[in-house]
Amino acid sequence: MIGDAVERSLRSPQVLISVSELFSNAAGSRMPDVQPGLLTDEVARRVVAACPTSALKIDEAAGRTHLILDYGECIGCSRCVAAGDGAFRYSEKVARCGVSKESLVRRWDLQSRAEVVQDEPALSQAAEQIRALVGQALNIRQVDAGSCNGCEAEIGALTNPYYDLERFGIHFVASPKHADMLLVTGPVTRNMAAALKNAYDAVPSPKLVVAVGACGCSGGIFGGSHAVVGPVDAVIPVNGYIPGCPPTPAMLLTGILQVLRTLTSPSRRPRS
Amino acid sequence: MTKTPLNSEAGVSRALDLLRAANTRLVSIFGSTDLDRIGDNRVRRVHYLIDVNGREYRMLSSPVTGPIPSATEVAPAAAWYERELHDQYGIECVGHPDPRPLLFHENWPEKVHPMIHDASHVPWINDEGQYRFLRVQGDGVCEVPVGPIHAGIIEPGHFRFSVVGDTVLHLELRHFYTHKGTEKLFEKTPVMDGVMIAESVSGDNCFSHAVAYCQAIETAFAISVPPRAQAIRLIGLELERMLAHIADVGALCGDVGFGVPAAYSARLKESLLQASTRFFGTRFWRGVAVPGGVTRDLSNAETSEFGRMVTSAAREFQQMARLILHTSSVQNRFASTGILTAEIARQLAVVGPVARASGIRLDVRRDHPSGRYRDINVEVPHYKYGDVLARARIRIDETAISMGLINEALKELPAGSVLAPVPMAGTAEALSAVESPRGELLYWVRIRDGKITRCHIKSPSFQNWPALPLAMPGNIIADFPVINKSFNLSYSGCDR
Repeated sequence: MIGDAVERSLRSPQVLISVSELFSNAAGSRMPDVQPGLLTDEVARRVVAACPTSALKIDEAAGRTHLILDYGECIGCSRCVAAGDGAFRYSEKVARCGVSKESLVRRWDLQSRAEVVQDEPALSQAAEQIRALVGQALNIRQVDAGSCNGCEAEIGALTNPYYDLERFGIHFVASPKHADMLLVTGPVTRNMAAALKNAYDAVPSPKLVVAVGACGCSGGIFGGSHAVVGPVDAVIPVNGYIPGCPPTPAMLLTGILQVLRTLTSPSRRPRS
Repeated sequence: MTKTPLNSEAGVSRALDLLRAANTRLVSIFGSTDLDRIGDNRVRRVHYLIDVNGREYRMLSSPVTGPIPSATEVAPAAAWYERELHDQYGIECVGHPDPRPLLFHENWPEKVHPMIHDASHVPWINDEGQYRFLRVQGDGVCEVPVGPIHAGIIEPGHFRFSVVGDTVLHLELRHFYTHKGTEKLFEKTPVMDGVMIAESVSGDNCFSHAVAYCQAIETAFAISVPPRAQAIRLIGLELERMLAHIADVGALCGDVGFGVPAAYSARLKESLLQASTRFFGTRFWRGVAVPGGVTRDLSNAETSEFGRMVTSAAREFQQMARLILHTSSVQNRFASTGILTAEIARQLAVVGPVARASGIRLDVRRDHPSGRYRDINVEVPHYKYGDVLARARIRIDETAISMGLINEALKELPAGSVLAPVPMAGTAEALSAVESPRGELLYWVRIRDGKITRCHIKSPSFQNWPALPLAMPGNIIADFPVINKSFNLSYSGCDR
């Protein structure tokens, strides 16, 4: 019977997704993107009122009115898409994965209807550099510091035959002592803070930490709870942030590789 | 504060009497407060939710002015509920055999009960090692501590094994590492926003949680959900069950070193997630259920294409499942491993696939149907052995049944809108139940002026976790992963 299973498996379709298709693919993440041309003052105020977290904000400084979108706080609830008169739609791509906390924030000037400070990493260039990293070993210890397990479901999917993380030389390891990187999810709960700190201390230096998901980046909807300490960087230092609720496997992979890329070529680190 | 303890005890003892009857099952025990008053003047209430004759949820409530008698001796399933009641509300249950804190660990100060106190600035206590595990003593007995961080990509929790050689004598759980104060977070949340918290109680069952929450709101305000929306909800609930069961069966194979079906199941699960993305714009159906209906609809062409994808994944899975069940090394590892007897399962009021694998036929879809399930018959498979094999078989059978239900719903998708308006006025409360992939899931909400004032979640994982240690004694410690996986309980759903 085992022979049958193996044979059946060999006959199953090839489903591996190519690197270029994967990079920054955000389909199904419900992260919003903005069509600046359609962004009126009225739309901006409506979407800010509709946003259940503080991902969307109006910033009025020095006579200018800016709309701010912080991917780190966005839980992908779709309300801005519903209320935005076409100015908000689902992102096909989110390249801001594995970037600094500041780079998760985008802003648009409501007078000129244009994005302020284009900080978008050059996609084709980044993808090229990432391809060069393929095959270099990276050991990841995943730590759930209080998540709802939505992020775990997607991190688990990275090892399925569509994404096949191992083709990049990336492995999940059982001990933080074997790890180069901690991939941390969840708002850090009071009850997990000590364990997270211990795991971080056990990783040999130099160590990388990536905060995953709206909760890991900002505390998400659990930010104000009495049982929660805060986002991951409230407890340990973080090198890169992957937004999403939960981030798709493609966004996770993009983020992990992006952290590697920015660290290997410091000049290309996104400005903040 | 004029109510006498006697009054309160009379209400509680009615609940205890009901629990003594043979035809009842404890569903949940939880507290609430009267939000009109603040601080120590608040009246606390205790609520006992009991299933009578397997067909009716009955709630008995009582004001609480002092300690109440524990129900644990009458119904062992009450043990964790009463510990939570004390942690959250400071209600002492006299005669409880194990009054240790449950939700809060050593960092939490005594006598701070977040549901009745201001919990915004709770001081941090450093009192590590104060938690006392049960000590098993004797020649050659070793303790093996595991967790909270486990070896794989799993949620955190602590397991304390007492072993002699490889054989487990005793397992004690210590959970609630992912406790996020979720029920408190619901307080003062606008009704339409509450569903987002519900979706983040247990991420892999987010649609069940969302539907259970929405149904409670709809019941509270007598909102009739359009039939087309109810059918789409059924599709989502059954798809979530398929995703969970396919992943579980694959993971069970992975845990016994049979990698081919593990990879195969992972591929099938991903194909269904991608189908969800294509037709519903979301991998896990987040944001689809809202009070009043659903936010997504299917065109006729999409309906048949989606049905085709679901059917093809389910058929492939069934073929794979036959191979798994006929493989002798799998049988060797699954059969008679981690037996949960019907008697223990009944005492701990276990629910879901775990109950059905131990011969207890419970299914909310059949016993307490809501929405589209009122109009259909759901087949409820069961097995009597209560071992890993039975829990695998239940999931294999239910995957096929869910596929059938999805196709039926797609074939007869009612016409019309998918979203009804949600008028909300005044105060209301309601209960709602859903059969999530892990079993009976209930939401009880109380609403005032468009905001939630109390939301209690009865999670199947909270109910089933205490049964896991009782399936362990006599098994070898190396079989724990596969036994644990066969229960597949959510830590976050339990810890909330």
